[in-house]
Amino acid sequence: MSTLWSRLSPRWGTGVCLSLLTLLVAPASADAAHVKGRLEGFRLLRNPVWAEANDSSNHGFSFREPVPTVRAEFRRPFPHIPKELCVALIAATPQPAPKPILIRVGGGRTSPVTIVVTPGTRLTFQNTDPFKHRLYGVDIKTFAAAEQGVGATRDWTPATPGVYEIRDEAAPSLRMWIVAEPNVASISYPSMKGEFAVNVEQAGEYTVQAFFAGKKVGDAVPVKVDAADVDLRAVIRVMDQKTADAEEKAADEKAAKATKATKGSK
Amino acid sequence: MLLSRFWYVVLGLLVGVATFLLFLATSMYNREGAHAMGEALSSDSQVVNWYLSNDARQRSAQLISFGVDADVARSLSKSSENDQKVPDEAREKALAALKKVSATIPADQAFDAVFAVDQHGRVVAHLGYEQASGNQDFELGGYPVVADALRGYIRDDTLVLDRIYRVVARPVEADTSQLPAGAIVGARILDDRFARELSARTGAAIAFYTAGARVSSGAPESFNSAQLDQIVSDFSSLESDEEYQAKGRSKIRTIAGMVGVQYSKLPGEAWKLGAGYAVAREPKAVAGPFGFFKTADDQDKANANVALAVAIALAAAIIGIGFSVLEHTRPIHNFRLEVLKLAKGESDQLQPSRFRGAFRKIASDLNDGVDKILAKGGGPRRGPADLQEVLGDLPAEPQMSAFSFPGENMPAAASGGSGPHTAPVITPKGLPTAPSNPRLPKPPPTRGAVNLDSTMEAQGDAPSSGSPATAAWGAEASEPAEWRAVYQDFVALKQQCGENTDGFTYEKFEATLKKNRDTLMTRHGAKRVKFSVYIKEGKAALKATPLKD
Repeated sequence: MSTLWSRLSPRWGTGVCLSLLTLLVAPASADAAHVKGRLEGFRLLRNPVWAEANDSSNHGFSFREPVPTVRAEFRRPFPHIPKELCVALIAATPQPAPKPILIRVGGGRTSPVTIVVTPGTRLTFQNTDPFKHRLYGVDIKTFAAAEQGVGATRDWTPATPGVYEIRDEAAPSLRMWIVAEPNVASISYPSMKGEFAVNVEQAGEYTVQAFFAGKKVGDAVPVKVDAADVDLRAVIRVMDQKTADAEEKAADEKAAKATKATKGSK
Repeated sequence: MLLSRFWYVVLGLLVGVATFLLFLATSMYNREGAHAMGEALSSDSQVVNWYLSNDARQRSAQLISFGVDADVARSLSKSSENDQKVPDEAREKALAALKKVSATIPADQAFDAVFAVDQHGRVVAHLGYEQASGNQDFELGGYPVVADALRGYIRDDTLVLDRIYRVVARPVEADTSQLPAGAIVGARILDDRFARELSARTGAAIAFYTAGARVSSGAPESFNSAQLDQIVSDFSSLESDEEYQAKGRSKIRTIAGMVGVQYSKLPGEAWKLGAGYAVAREPKAVAGPFGFFKTADDQDKANANVALAVAIALAAAIIGIGFSVLEHTRPIHNFRLEVLKLAKGESDQLQPSRFRGAFRKIASDLNDGVDKILAKGGGPRRGPADLQEVLGDLPAEPQMSAFSFPGENMPAAASGGSGPHTAPVITPKGLPTAPSNPRLPKPPPTRGAVNLDSTMEAQGDAPSSGSPATAAWGAEASEPAEWRAVYQDFVALKQQCGENTDGFTYEKFEATLKKNRDTLMTRHGAKRVKFSVYIKEGKAALKATPLKD
């Protein structure tokens, strides 16, 4: 099943990071099929790091003003999905661990931000910034904070299923989620438009599931793969307007309370 | 002396009050100084905070020049369209555009580094950040400030990368119906140059720090900038400052009593990383009452009423001197003059009415004493006659240093006893001398007698000079026995005085006494000569007294 980890089609355009990532996994087979689809509602998602930084009670800025010429619909902390939204193809049975996967650390985040792997997959973190980082796993004893110089790499392997969060003592904005899922057969990252294509090395029945910030988003879509590519007719909605509004409202209220408490303490 | 004493008490009280006031003033000055320093530090901190925010706003306005530049917008748009990599053409055009626009920005508003970032967060071109040169994968998209700019916001942030950067970012739009093509990010390094500039504009001594280390500082010329190094030692305890942790601004802290500091966290990501700035001031305090002399400047000294202080000091001194003259110098002077008159015989007694206070009592007592002495018939002549003065040179041993005898005018004691002579006689030196009284029984030759002088024989309780030692004598005693007793007393006295008695034999002593006895008897017509011992100038001496009875 490891052959399911393969290079993504350039026309679907994922990020550079994904290209690097896929270079380390198993080479694509000539007869690999693709599961293609499209995500919707991803601009209703909220990047937790950016949303938190936009809360004035967190002292993330001294001034922050919208630019009037930018449309209001864009002025949301939606994620950069080519790095943050992971589309996973889940098999019915546990899958073997693929070859080591490269995770780039730079620019205030990791690339990718969320990744779904089988337990036992070795992850190699490489510092691509021109300064040091100090990655650590939240509540992960095997991933203690350690200095990582320019260009240096560091390996870590999730041993058991679960969701792991990686942070950086030198960059608070850096947060990464690793989902260790035994049955994951392949993963892909969508384009800026939400289009994705997941390679399938072996025919069978799978489930397409999107992950964001370490959590499942949207419905799981079952798919049966034969030799040919499969085009999912239905789009996968990762967030609906109603839920997004409710989340945003809750976040605003929380921020207002925090602001009030901060002013009260002063 | 009452006035003088009163004045001393008044002066003592004034000195005590002045000392108390000085300590009080020192304490109040230091308290007010600490209070003023605290307010000044809070003000400095606010001013620096305001400056940082305002500076970021002003610089963000400079980013508009980049944002409206068509080449920058087109380059970013082209780069954003490519999911795989940043086109080289876009890089080149963006870099050229950055250089072109940067050249138009005023120097005081310029950035240390400028980044053009596409919609993917990739850095298409940058200026001034040489650390990332050649890094094709260099990106900034994960930072909230950049993400916000890519989503239509202008904002600032403080990033702690290899150094501390004040960052502002704004979107670059190519098509207003679409997401911004990218963002332009300007960064200012919080280095010494920035700190000095900030210090010059705010007047505050300031140091930026991160990770428990000072990274830059700037201070006015009047401030000892080395003091800013001390904040490093304070970082460990800063973590326990609840106000600092909760509000991002510490209480006023004084490090080693030498510098007052207030710490403030920098806004942005730096807040979570514990990076911030410290404003410092040197406390206005004096170590003690005399510290005012050190801290006072010429203006302070000019404001002090020196004339009044000098006048008070002079007045106090004059009053004190006046009292001492009035109560001490003048009475003594008067007393001395009166005593001098008495000594010269110009007056018979002191006049107590001319004196005041204790001198009046002293004069009165002196008069009483003189009266009592006169009532007793006067006193003996003070001190024995000098033996050498009378006899000329004497043999070396024993030293016949002095003797006394009844005066020339004194009648010789009647051997038959013609009645007592009670009237005092005047000695050649004018001193009253007690008359001899041959009828008085001669004291027994005891070693414990006070004086062996013949005069004392007549006036047993009259004052005598020196400390004559005892010697056995008397009419009943034979001369050899008497001399032997004198010899023994003389030797004992010499030993008592620490003199050497080796070789000093009785025979030598006796020969000397005989020679002197004969001389005195011949010269004064005395029937015999009595010798006694006494101490003269710390040495044993003999006193010879010719007797005519």
